[in-house]
Amino acid sequence: MLVIQLIFNGLQTGALYALIAAGFSLIFGMTRVFHAAHGATFTLAGYAFYEMYSVAHLGWPLAALTAVVAAGVFGVLLDRWVYAIIQRHEGSFFTVFAASFGVAIVVQNVIAMAFGRGLVTISTPLSKSVELAPGLFIAPMMAITILAALICFAVLQYLLTKTNLGIALRALGENPVLIEVYGLTQRKLSQYAFLIGSVLVVPAAILTAATSGLNPSMSHHVMLISLAATIVGGVGSLRGAALAGMLLGMAENLCLAVIDPQWSEAVTFIILFLFILFRPGGVYGRAITS
Amino acid sequence: MKKTFRSTALTFAALTLSMSMLNTASAADVAIGAAFPMSGDNAEYGQIFSSGANLAVEHINADKKLSGKLTIVYEDSQATPAQGVIAANKLINVSKVPFMLSAFTGVSKAVAPVGARTKTVMVNGGGVGPDLAMLGDYFWNTIPLANFEVRVIAPYLVKEKGLKKVALIYVDDPLGQSILKELSTELSKIGGELVGSFSIPTTTQQFSGVAARVRDVKPDVVYFATYGNQEVQLIKQLRDNGITQPMASYSAVDIPSVQALPEAKGIYYTSQQINWDKPDAITKRMITDYQAKYNKKPNTYVVNYYNSVLVFGELAAALEKAGKPITGENLLAQRKATPNFEFVGSTVSFENDGTIKAPIQIMQVAGDGTGTLLVPGK
Repeated sequence: MLVIQLIFNGLQTGALYALIAAGFSLIFGMTRVFHAAHGATFTLAGYAFYEMYSVAHLGWPLAALTAVVAAGVFGVLLDRWVYAIIQRHEGSFFTVFAASFGVAIVVQNVIAMAFGRGLVTISTPLSKSVELAPGLFIAPMMAITILAALICFAVLQYLLTKTNLGIALRALGENPVLIEVYGLTQRKLSQYAFLIGSVLVVPAAILTAATSGLNPSMSHHVMLISLAATIVGGVGSLRGAALAGMLLGMAENLCLAVIDPQWSEAVTFIILFLFILFRPGGVYGRAITS
Repeated sequence: MKKTFRSTALTFAALTLSMSMLNTASAADVAIGAAFPMSGDNAEYGQIFSSGANLAVEHINADKKLSGKLTIVYEDSQATPAQGVIAANKLINVSKVPFMLSAFTGVSKAVAPVGARTKTVMVNGGGVGPDLAMLGDYFWNTIPLANFEVRVIAPYLVKEKGLKKVALIYVDDPLGQSILKELSTELSKIGGELVGSFSIPTTTQQFSGVAARVRDVKPDVVYFATYGNQEVQLIKQLRDNGITQPMASYSAVDIPSVQALPEAKGIYYTSQQINWDKPDAITKRMITDYQAKYNKKPNTYVVNYYNSVLVFGELAAALEKAGKPITGENLLAQRKATPNFEFVGSTVSFENDGTIKAPIQIMQVAGDGTGTLLVPGK
């Protein structure tokens, strides 16, 4: 029964990791900006939800909407007021990365000043497990997480394959210069990429707030997962990010059947190293340098 | 060009001179250091520790205990040994402090050799790993160590509560390892059994899998030895994932984020006993001023770091009176020559190994932000 329990736990963790990684993968794949502040977007969205839901008691739809607005506005403003300015002055990839990393640290400290440095959690009966079979505990939140991941990836798939905006965004990722020929502007499309990528992190932030809680310094962990899933899944591939998130979550949990919990995180990095060594392009990846 | 250079040089020289005069003017001032986690997952502890230390500095300055002004220089240890050593080196080599506050077992073990080498006194009021009693003359503890805590709670769980099968979840650092060792030894002596021990890295945030492993060994009680945000995440996720057994831990539970967590209600934990009603001026002043300043009651960590700075104040004042410089060596000699110290809530003396002994009480998380006293310390 332990293995079955760990499979279910892995599904939940994997769905959460997939949701976390999708936004980063989309932004990096479309714009080539190493958005180190993606973790900060996650933290900001989580705290916005917490403030509205647990402190202001405004109900979850309004709280979720606030989180969406906070994440979207933060992503777009960051692109417009930080990345665009650096890129206009022909700043290098690393300059953008350093700026993004700096913003993440600022956000972390601002959140710590506003909400304190301790962990905050959202108490909900949805995170409480019930024993479905002897030794098998499942929480409603598990189904919600998996459902949220399925919905998000279905919507995203539709957006990227069936709409003009999605096709333009994919074109931006393929050849940013060529899209100008078709009358599209890189800058505007970049903002859409940041808007969608940032909003994508909201479900994961809300679900994390309800299951394991939020703290100001959690953005590093979020970035670690995003990066690992993006590399394993293949840079620029949302399908890859989803699959890699699921793979990492499952591996992290299933390994507990045979090894001590101390080594479960190491499993993530072993998978990452194996991919870097033997399949650097990831599962669905393509070369990122020309 | 030559003129511009000359005027710039003159301005620079004037600025340098005025800066050095400023330094000279405050030559009698004394600075001590503190390497606390001010960022990261354990920053909540840094806030708590510094609130106690800062209040003690205010009181020492208000009483004009020293000829100059006492200040604290803070460095962020991030509760990691590597960052702690960087912080200690900076405090000792740049800020030239003769005395510094330390916290966390791993950090304290890492910085202690730096203190021993440079003859800088280091005082810990937060880390409880038993190894902290063996870090040499220059490392002192104003908090009783975890071996004493385990020796108190293990018999309570096994004999009083009949919870014989214990599962341990411990963080993989010197503190966690020492608790594993202590708990294994103690349980075997009193008829208890360690049915499972699960080590976790300090960075882990997902515990549903750990909960499944713990459920699998069917313990009567789950003892956990971790701290900070990870501790809160662990408690919530264990409860969310079907761990209904009683839980127990050590003094790290005594922080606001755990005490206020609904899932933490009922957790048994140990902490040093402080006599909050001790009718002396030091205790009354500390409690009154802390409540006035922070609008909450001080906890044991606050008191420990307040006491740690008070110790410095007492020793430094004695050295000044004797006309001796305030150095680590002199502070150590003065401590050895001082039989007792008036602490908040108690009168204590240091043992030869630099530790203090204090009664350990058993508490239970009430669920309303406070703890309920179950068994007073002896």
